[in-house]
Amino acid sequence: MNITQDRLKILEIMSRLSIDRASRALSKSLRTGARISLSKVFVADLSETTEKMNEDQREMISVMVDFKGNEGCRLLFMLPLEGSLILTDLFLRQRIGTSKECDVFTESAVQELGNILASHISNALVSDFNAKLIPQPPRVHNDYAGVIFSNLVLEQGMVNDSILLIETIFEISGSKLECYLFLVPEMKSFAKLLDSIGVGT
Amino acid sequence: MKKILVVDDAKVIRMIIRQILTRHGFEIAGEAGNGREALEKYKELKPDAVTMDIVMPEVDGIQGLKEIIAFDKQAKVVMISAIDQQDALMESIRHGAVDYVVKPFEDDRMVTSLRNIFNEDQNDSAGSRQ
Repeated sequence: MNITQDRLKILEIMSRLSIDRASRALSKSLRTGARISLSKVFVADLSETTEKMNEDQREMISVMVDFKGNEGCRLLFMLPLEGSLILTDLFLRQRIGTSKECDVFTESAVQELGNILASHISNALVSDFNAKLIPQPPRVHNDYAGVIFSNLVLEQGMVNDSILLIETIFEISGSKLECYLFLVPEMKSFAKLLDSIGVGT
Repeated sequence: MKKILVVDDAKVIRMIIRQILTRHGFEIAGEAGNGREALEKYKELKPDAVTMDIVMPEVDGIQGLKEIIAFDKQAKVVMISAIDQQDALMESIRHGAVDYVVKPFEDDRMVTSLRNIFNEDQNDSAGSRQ
């Protein structure tokens, strides 16, 4: 993936703005201090990232969302099982600790988390950068981080040796959870978008 | 008591909407998880209004709205979606939605939307009697 530092900087700003908006929406949905913040955006080596994911032995719940429109893109958010249980309690407005194991409500809570993130990211890109981007229905999976990430790579048919990675920290109800958010833009269409807002190659 | 059909693919959201509406004096006629199920349930349950999500698997909310309106031109459908984009709003209104509520919403926003629909109905009936 060839991307100049200027373009990467713009992508970081776009990501930060859209994730901030998604984070505010999430807090409002959960009526509590839930916050997703972006720590950094970088182009990561695909094999190194796969290795890192395989080293993470936590059981994760993931949500994957495809976007359709002029700018093709895919979002993958993974959070550890304990985080998804807290999320379920907050969505259902019940005492934290009530949900003990992953069930249809946990999957549904993570599904809605994906929907909120994807919708508000696309809302920001549409209103601030004139993109055309509509999220598709979220898909939820429960597995180890490495397996989930490998599925993303396989499904995308990634032939490039690098991936645009957006590292995030998910704070929920006072706990900081290390989560993964991958936003995989289709670089051709995003290059057009960057051209249209005047960011040269 | 007005009967509402709640359409959303996320079970937690259906449950939240159910709780809010029953607390404010509405009756839940039923639930559906996509646009196709929404039409089937609409025909079967004949609700007074529908709350309809947009992004759903198989048949999305806009298509579900179109099919419900094709079946019943008087249907009252309120779109409830996290998509806050002009295109989605305009398409919904063009196809007959009576309101568009952006998620996340305050409880009052959805309740007021539904109450307004039924108040307008009452006013129309009163007007036509005069």
